[in-house]
Amino acid sequence: MSIWNYVVTAHKPTNVTHSCVGNFTSPQDLNLIIAKCTRIEIHLLTPQGLQPMLDVPIYGRIATVELFRPHGETQDFLFIATERYKFCVLQWDPETSELITRAMGDVSDRIGRPTDNGQIGIIDPDCRLIGLHLYDGLFKVIPFDNRGQLKEAFNIRLEELQVLDIKFLYGCPKPTIVVLYQDNKDARHVKTYEVALKDKDFVEGPWSQNNLDNGADLLIPVPPPLCGVLIIGEETIVYCSANAFKAIPIRPSITKAYGRIDPDGSRYLLGDHTGLLSLLVITHEKEKVTGLRIETLGETSIASTISYLDNAFVYIGSSCGDSQLIKLNLQPDAKGSYVEVLERYVNLGPIVDFCVVDLERQGQGQVVTCSGAYKDGSLRIVRNGIGINEQASVELQGIKGMWSLRSSTDDPFDTFLVVSFISETRILAMNLDDELEETEIEGFCSQVQTLFCHDAIHNQLVQVTSSTVRLVSSTTRELRHEWHAPSGYSVNVATANATQVLLATGGGHLVYLEIGDGILTEVKHARLEYEISSLDINPIGENPNYSHLAAVGMWTDISVRIFSLPDLNLITKEHLGGEIIPRSVLLCTFEGISYLLCALGDGHLINFLLNTSTGELSDRKKVSLGTQPITLRTFSSKNATHVFAASDRPTVIYSSNKKLLYSNVNLKEVSHMCPFNSAAFPDSLAIAKEGELTIGTIDDIQKLHIRSIPLGEQARRICHQEQSRTFAICCLKYNQTSADESEVHFVRLLDDQTFECISTYPLDTFEYGCSIISCSFSDDNNVYYCVGTAYVLPEENEPTKGRILVFVVEDGKLQLIAEKETKGAVYSLNAFNGKLLAAINQKIQLYKWMLRDDGTHELQSECGHHGHILALYVQTRGDFIIVGDLMKSISLLIYKHEEGAIEERARDYNANWMSAVEILDDDIYLGAENSFNLFTVRKNSEGATDEERGRLEVVGEYHLGEFINRFRHGSLVMRLPDSEVGQIPTVIFGTINGVIGVIASLPHEQYVFLEKLQSNLRKVIKGVGGLSHEQWRSFNNEKKTVDARNFLDGDLIESFLDLNRSKMDEISKAMGVSVEELCKRVEELTRLH
Amino acid sequence: MEASSSHPSDTNPSPSAASDFLSNLPSRGLFSSTVVSSNPGGMRVYICDHETSPPEDQHIKTNQQNILIRSLTLKKHKGDSSSKDGTESSRKRTGEKVVDGRDSAKRANSQVNTRQVGSNSQTSTKDLQSLTVERLRALLKAKGLSPKGRKDELIARLKSA
Repeated sequence: MSIWNYVVTAHKPTNVTHSCVGNFTSPQDLNLIIAKCTRIEIHLLTPQGLQPMLDVPIYGRIATVELFRPHGETQDFLFIATERYKFCVLQWDPETSELITRAMGDVSDRIGRPTDNGQIGIIDPDCRLIGLHLYDGLFKVIPFDNRGQLKEAFNIRLEELQVLDIKFLYGCPKPTIVVLYQDNKDARHVKTYEVALKDKDFVEGPWSQNNLDNGADLLIPVPPPLCGVLIIGEETIVYCSANAFKAIPIRPSITKAYGRIDPDGSRYLLGDHTGLLSLLVITHEKEKVTGLRIETLGETSIASTISYLDNAFVYIGSSCGDSQLIKLNLQPDAKGSYVEVLERYVNLGPIVDFCVVDLERQGQGQVVTCSGAYKDGSLRIVRNGIGINEQASVELQGIKGMWSLRSSTDDPFDTFLVVSFISETRILAMNLDDELEETEIEGFCSQVQTLFCHDAIHNQLVQVTSSTVRLVSSTTRELRHEWHAPSGYSVNVATANATQVLLATGGGHLVYLEIGDGILTEVKHARLEYEISSLDINPIGENPNYSHLAAVGMWTDISVRIFSLPDLNLITKEHLGGEIIPRSVLLCTFEGISYLLCALGDGHLINFLLNTSTGELSDRKKVSLGTQPITLRTFSSKNATHVFAASDRPTVIYSSNKKLLYSNVNLKEVSHMCPFNSAAFPDSLAIAKEGELTIGTIDDIQKLHIRSIPLGEQARRICHQEQSRTFAICCLKYNQTSADESEVHFVRLLDDQTFECISTYPLDTFEYGCSIISCSFSDDNNVYYCVGTAYVLPEENEPTKGRILVFVVEDGKLQLIAEKETKGAVYSLNAFNGKLLAAINQKIQLYKWMLRDDGTHELQSECGHHGHILALYVQTRGDFIIVGDLMKSISLLIYKHEEGAIEERARDYNANWMSAVEILDDDIYLGAENSFNLFTVRKNSEGATDEERGRLEVVGEYHLGEFINRFRHGSLVMRLPDSEVGQIPTVIFGTINGVIGVIASLPHEQYVFLEKLQSNLRKVIKGVGGLSHEQWRSFNNEKKTVDARNFLDGDLIESFLDLNRSKMDEISKAMGVSVEELCKRVEELTRLH
Repeated sequence: MEASSSHPSDTNPSPSAASDFLSNLPSRGLFSSTVVSSNPGGMRVYICDHETSPPEDQHIKTNQQNILIRSLTLKKHKGDSSSKDGTESSRKRTGEKVVDGRDSAKRANSQVNTRQVGSNSQTSTKDLQSLTVERLRALLKAKGLSPKGRKDELIARLKSA
């Protein structure tokens, strides 16, 4: 790999941190706004459900999101503050459907200690000011003037240093905050302050309350008429106001999120750390609070945010598991739960570990992640492409074509499946038992190969063979009319729709027939100069039964032509270039845009934009899908049209954001496909592949396909073993049976196909699984799983004891073969020159695999290296060892065979707190640190002095804005040897927010080109809320902020394709490169993920 | 403030309580269709190609004045105006009212506060000691007492009042 890296998101963040409901997009619209770390999603609430509107990237990590309504406005504004101390106020302009920046600013202070408990951003309910608590001991106020404009911000000193929560109180004549804090004796209190805007100071507020629940952590302000505040503790809930105090005990729990139900604030939903949802009710007589009630409703994902939507529907946003749309039922179900989960929104976060495997052995990587936390833990199999779920299959050799037919024109379901072979045609149909059995359509000729079949109007069917076109009644199944090819000529290719038939015979003859009630009429005949290779008259105009255009692919001059129908006049002729004939052409419409797709015999696909009125072709694009001839066929799924390209690499072509996208299908070679929507197998596809006919349904059409394996416990480490076809995971289960919680750790063995747990090895009490690898040792042919553990004792700061366990998989069971005690936590294990390299606390230790006299093996310490704070992450390459330290960045060690010693060669002297490391190539190492940055360092072996050689030079820096837990070499996409991107090496990373990203090392020339494109794009694509892209991507931690270098933001670069034409032209002019060339180069990059 | 706290006895859960509390959930007619479906995928990604800087005066910055210096200037300003009001006549009536109003609000607050924190409603000597002579004089004036004398005398007078 190289130092010129391109960072792009393959799977966007899915961890939901905030949500709110308000009238954002118009005074009448009710919107749900969801914050997912660096993105804001806007949804519209409709009678039919949640309708997604917009996904807005934000150049910052979102710290707080609030909707508010300034005086005199009819719709809500959105306030967003980012973790890097920027804020903005956004307004939706319904006319242009754009986000307008109403205000923005920088609220950082030069001096100040960032708060430990996260940033707080709140807005006065009467919209007099915005309050921010960003640094200990300071409360920042951004006042509104009476026109709703923001004024200069100022700080107020806040005496309370350990603030847990701050909220504005409702119904106060002066803006009043209530502060929940902890004093230096760890007791918790609340206090109120009035904000005196004129004096820029606090005035003691109307009341305070000392000595609350020791776990009090959350304040809920209660709106008028009740006013006051709810203080949510771990064992009590307290309602407190100037003149009332009510408390109730609760089952011990930590409340993670709340959502207000009623505008008057009498009911709230509370979500706790175990995923239980409770209803909190303030009982009151008029404005006097009489008490509190709490009722458990049921279980959801562990909530990080709760938004009551409408009509008993609630959105549960989660950081630990899938987010959910739930309904609160009046009556409990059989299990006593009032909660009904209606929808789950996939969340991969937190990705604690993952591995890249090729389970189907197709040459395409799949990522298996350890996702989720606590009870919502799961494994997720993330695959690029679309899955076919097989429902039935029969062995059938030599299929040459397939078509589905209906038994009458207005039947919604298909009945017949026509399967054509080289010298016969068979007809399959669904019988009464929903089984596919062979049947006959008397009017069809079944002794020859069928070239094409279609349903026709007037309850008719059309069959085209090499000599005739037969029109058959679909009710009586009898022949009604027949058209014969002129003698001496045979039909080579044919196509049809409900009213038209177009066929080509040898010698370049093109014949056009129209279908009437019981009659076929030859309407037009044309002679072309060359033989015809492919035809299509798929109706894409207004009339679904009739096409005005015909697409014709030609031999000899390798062209594709558009003819008008019915008069067969040539409209357009486009030479494809090269020597490969178009084997399949298809007219189709995606998202209202018409295309001509043209598939070549060598697996390439060329697409054109088609102007349906003039027949003009434009915007030619070429992609490589496989290496064998492609057959194209449309099908629909979920009311959208897609195209299936059958070849050695079957692909589904679909459109999103008016862009054509290509997704692999998880099948090997497919020769033919046809949609088969029968009553027994609705929305299915019939697929012909290597001697087999399969009927299956297709997954949702999307780029990444994610399969969930819920574990009910949290997996922390995962690795795959090719030989035993298993996964091994280290996981932990929380037991919440008794009052004191305990956790138990396991090593589990899973089958790599079914993901069933086939064997479990429980670890000791207090013993944590820290690392796991599959490896083999020199002089031993077995493959082992090695697990590194730590005894985490409550009284110790750092573990002082751990184990290395060596397992072998025998008969599907984990057998412990050897174990070795260590003097600390085994944070990392690596296979290293037939030995085992372990990172144990501050030490790197190498173990040999020794055969004992009794034939058993043991791990024997060979040598080690001290000098780290905690060696957390280790990667090796040859004799080189890269160590990612807790706080001392990256160091490079080398193992010396002769001396049997490990020595330090060089290190990065920056104080980076590492979260992951990876080796890109011999000289360049990649690191991620805990301030959400990425950096690369380079070994300087040519340095003049020892001092220079001993220093790893930082060569690349970039702010990713995501906490990376793991890097792995590999790729999510199929690498086709003939495509350019096939040569680009990539590293995949997984983050806490559920992002899966790709880092690709580019050739220098391409890097320079894209860097120029990126800087031009920055001028055209502006940061929402006026946030700057350059600042966002600058490397930033507690110690320094420097501009990004040697990393490119792929997300920005790839959004070039979503720009409108005029903006593309603008960039093309600035770059001096044609738009087509730019599109081509960027599209190539999108195929990296 | 009412110091009565409700007792846990009135929170015994009854099986149907949740159903009662779940009735009449607010509804505006959304999510009313029998088939509620949502489609989380296929969301349009917002590409912002228009100018996003805020209006000129809405580029918010933080006042850089040190909090200590700010409070000193404010205090000085306040001190100036109150001393002027004490000696001069009606020229700054309005200003005086504002200051007085704020003072009384503050006083009321501190009283409420102390009542919650302390046991007796009377202002303690210690609290009064912490006030400045100027504040004490203002308090005395508000009670219609003579503002003259040393600090100890003022406190004694206030306490006996």
